[in-house]
Amino acid sequence: MSFARYLGIRIFNALLVLIFVTFVVSILFVKVAEDDAKTRIAEVINNEARNPAILRLKASDPEAFEKWKSNREEQLRREFELDKPFWERVISKTKNTLLLNFGNARSPVFGEIKVSKIIEKAIPRTVLLFTTAQIIITFIGLLLGIKAAQKAGKFVDKLLSVLAMLTASLPMWWVGMVFILAFSFQLGIFPASSLPNPNLEGFAYYKDLLWRMVLPLITVVFVSFGGWAYTTRNIMISTMHEDFITVARAKGVPENRVIYGHALKAASPPIVTNVIIGLLGSLGGAIITEAVFNWPGMGRLYWVALQQSEVNLLMGVTYVTVALFLASMIIADVIYGYLDPRVRVGR
Amino acid sequence: MRLEDVVDSAKDFLYEFRYQKGGILGFILLILLILAAVFAPNITSPDVPERWSKEFWVENPPNVPPTWINYFSSEKLAPHEILSLDDMQVEELDGGGVLLRIVYKNTYDVPPKDIILQGFNVSSSDARNKPLMTITLKRPDGSEVVLIEDRKVSSNTVIQIATNTEVRKNVFEWAKKVSGAKLSPSEEIKLQALMDTMKILFGKADENIFEGTSPLHGDYVFEVKITYQDGDNTLDLSNLTAIFSGRTYGLMGTDSKGRDIWAGLVWGTRVSLSVGIAVAVLSVLIGIVYGVASAYFGGWKDEALQRFNEFMFSMPVLPILILLGAYLGHMALSQIVLLLVLFGWVGVAKVARSMALQIKEQTFVEAARALGAGSGRVVFKHIMPQIMPYAFSQMALSVPYAVMTEAALSFLGIGDPTAVTWGQMLYDAQNAGATINGYWWWVIPPGLAIALVGLAFVLIGVALDRILNPRMRTL
Repeated sequence: MSFARYLGIRIFNALLVLIFVTFVVSILFVKVAEDDAKTRIAEVINNEARNPAILRLKASDPEAFEKWKSNREEQLRREFELDKPFWERVISKTKNTLLLNFGNARSPVFGEIKVSKIIEKAIPRTVLLFTTAQIIITFIGLLLGIKAAQKAGKFVDKLLSVLAMLTASLPMWWVGMVFILAFSFQLGIFPASSLPNPNLEGFAYYKDLLWRMVLPLITVVFVSFGGWAYTTRNIMISTMHEDFITVARAKGVPENRVIYGHALKAASPPIVTNVIIGLLGSLGGAIITEAVFNWPGMGRLYWVALQQSEVNLLMGVTYVTVALFLASMIIADVIYGYLDPRVRVGR
Repeated sequence: MRLEDVVDSAKDFLYEFRYQKGGILGFILLILLILAAVFAPNITSPDVPERWSKEFWVENPPNVPPTWINYFSSEKLAPHEILSLDDMQVEELDGGGVLLRIVYKNTYDVPPKDIILQGFNVSSSDARNKPLMTITLKRPDGSEVVLIEDRKVSSNTVIQIATNTEVRKNVFEWAKKVSGAKLSPSEEIKLQALMDTMKILFGKADENIFEGTSPLHGDYVFEVKITYQDGDNTLDLSNLTAIFSGRTYGLMGTDSKGRDIWAGLVWGTRVSLSVGIAVAVLSVLIGIVYGVASAYFGGWKDEALQRFNEFMFSMPVLPILILLGAYLGHMALSQIVLLLVLFGWVGVAKVARSMALQIKEQTFVEAARALGAGSGRVVFKHIMPQIMPYAFSQMALSVPYAVMTEAALSFLGIGDPTAVTWGQMLYDAQNAGATINGYWWWVIPPGLAIALVGLAFVLIGVALDRILNPRMRTL
């Protein structure tokens, strides 16, 4: 199987998942929206029935009142699109979602009312926080992991395994809460809320944003770097056992070049894939960590949508998250194929 | 496998397990957690889950730290105490009536928040002739403060010393006399509204009494005198309690509803362990069966099963769980388990398939087939036993993930609201702004508990992996 064909299948698969998820989610949401609309219609009619003119009509001619009521109901059902059959609504909802028409939120978030605009504002912030974190984690992880792999079984290595196990059992968002307690409440070093000051502009705004990013960044790095270094260590150790490393050493290649030149190069495909999968994994933890810090990204949107039952917003955020997730998986595949020729040529 | 083989391999396993220090630590942690889960009703009280989400725990002070912080701070805070009739001195009065003496030994720098007297049970034939109550406080410096004078007592009488208007007025007058301060009418109104009754009652009687900065230590005696009036009066005091609402409470303090955090922690182990273990066992079993079946069938069936597996693998779990949670409003624990299993088997199935593919091609399987073994026999007798070690370590390693995901869903407010869970406690803490108010006793313990469960299973899982998959040992 050629790599292009392999990639084509992956992309097709991803699109299939996206459409399927959107379709299922649309079914759920059309149902929720239907219940919502029904109560809204009842409310509207009850309100209008208190109108004096209608009250008089009801007293004088009950039959005409009933007629008015059913007419009005019909009209409202058309307005809320309840007159169309269920599946037609599901399909139109699926289509709209796939084309990024999520509709409006009930109350503005980040100063916007249109869901696609809100998400447009949130994505760069999430990317900023988690890409920065991932770069730091990758850097620390590589350094520590290679050190531990060189001294496998020694103190440094054991310390790293213990650290990896300890931090792997910590929920990232809880660590965030504890850091807020420690650094914002007790020590007063960092602000407790990462919501940037909207009154600032230009350079001052970005300075404020970066300053508020420090604590979430420390949290993400603290929880993830141990496990990451441990993974790097495992990959490196299995590479160091390969024959070509023994050959390189026998040739008299300096140890540093053996490690950074030969071993790291051979170990890079799984490491790079791990970086990307790590990014994806942190997306999950990110949702809640952002909520804890009030960091105004996608996670915060989830929190807002759930707390205020913003149905459209939740739908939009989920769709975009799923799409991003699938896209990154494909990117991981491409990079893997680029780094490891065996994948490109066919497996 | 014969029984002797099973016993033998179990012996071997135990022999090796002894050398896994981490595994033993994890095992001890797990036993402690299981004990906490099983004996939760005995350690705390059996009605905790019922009361947890439904009511305010009025008898407890809200948002107070645990009692043991007194060991670490220079300022001693009064703990929470509930006194029943047995802790009081009861004296029958001539001419109908009782005199209760409640002795409170104050060695604290910060007195109780409030003193609540409740549980009077009065039946009288005439509503106008109810018994009358007078409460007098005898302080260690010899002075006496009349807190309440001739107040009618009925069955629903609840006296809250700190907020009762009559008490506040009396205490204010007394404190004004003691301090000798000359106050303008506006200052008087302000002081009377803002003063801390308890700090004045338990403070030194000098000119600084209104600041309430200098506590007076010693024995305080509350004399509650109840006299009957004419007519048929009966007074049953057997339910009477005096609650000294503390500035600290119990082992772990309380949250904003006055709930005992220790009770929540202990009961939370049940949910956490049962969800974690159920999800891990179910999803690993399904994954193994799926993977082995896929490898064993081969051909187009394998292809189809693998396509579906890949499909499931590319679904982001948490966003979809959140959506489903939002759709259902709240998820019951069984629903959470079901959904986590639905997404949890995928990775295991992949590994199990590749393992089964390798085993399938080995000569002993071929030999078994040549001897006429059927599919069932080959799968269950030759392939499965080789995969089970992987399954066990994978089960242990899946538990932390399930526990954390359940906690995450509860933290987002879409977990089971009727269950006492650690994630729910952290959700409440987040909503009450516990982090920015510094309620550390509310934020730290539930997360540590989650981490502890995770750590126990990670330790066990890694130890199992080292013993059962010897290839790992060279790493």
